[in-house]
Amino acid sequence: MEETNVLFSIGPVQITSTLTTMWVIILILTVLSILATRKLKDVPGPLQNIAEMAVESLQNYFAGIMGAKTAKKYFPIFATFFIFIVVCNYSGLLPGAGHLKGFAVPTACLSVTAALGIVAFFTTHTIGIRERGLGHYLKTFIMPFFIMLPLNLIEQIVRPFSLALRLYGNLYGEEMVLEQLYNLFPILLPLLMNVLSLIFCLIQAMVFTMLLGIYVSEAAEE
Amino acid sequence: MASGTIALAVAIMMGLCVCGPAIAQGMVASKAMESIARQPEAAGNIRISLILALSLIEALTIYGLLIAFMLVSKI
Repeated sequence: MEETNVLFSIGPVQITSTLTTMWVIILILTVLSILATRKLKDVPGPLQNIAEMAVESLQNYFAGIMGAKTAKKYFPIFATFFIFIVVCNYSGLLPGAGHLKGFAVPTACLSVTAALGIVAFFTTHTIGIRERGLGHYLKTFIMPFFIMLPLNLIEQIVRPFSLALRLYGNLYGEEMVLEQLYNLFPILLPLLMNVLSLIFCLIQAMVFTMLLGIYVSEAAEE
Repeated sequence: MASGTIALAVAIMMGLCVCGPAIAQGMVASKAMESIARQPEAAGNIRISLILALSLIEALTIYGLLIAFMLVSKI
């Protein structure tokens, strides 16, 4: 999967369709957020209105998971995760995804989701250390007993794997199922899966950020 | 010989992989409906946690599906 869609390479770095799609998504999101926040007004225009609504509902969502204080303090990273994953997932619904050169769903590639998982891993521990101090944070690994240390360590190491594999598996599996359905009966049958994936794309992003929120709130509080 | 064994393994694995999470999802859904019937005003909260729990359970099947794809590509 990952080897076939190499477009060109700069030195040892291979530029794949996944990467170019990600660049486009990053560019679009950046331009949109700059446009939405450039001239802030009391009576918002349509773009500012959408941005305000998105930020407000995301803030409420994260506040429900980990409490208003932590959610507000670390809002940027959670919102970035959520918005990026949602847009990546939904890019698979555009016509031509995976077939056109330079256009493949980023989150259906294990490297991308693994990177997201690793960032999530370091986010959790950085926030934990910042909130509680290094000594106190390390002490939580041997809470309630010292014997729990290996279990806690294994749990911490498994987390990024499960985050990455869940996202990758869902998106990749969805694409494969779609392809099989298309081979079975090309008219209307893939549409069923597309309707389902409209829901699943959002839910997967929600699950990723919710798990990250739970990990962070676990690391940041007693 | 080897590819036949792999095909059989994939078939058995997918069957088992679907069975476990299916039972779990059934239990989750029945409990959620029970609680909505008991407390209709909490339906919104229950629905969100229901969907999240279902998708967490679904991930287990997806792990199996991934392994199945890997095995099928080896046939």
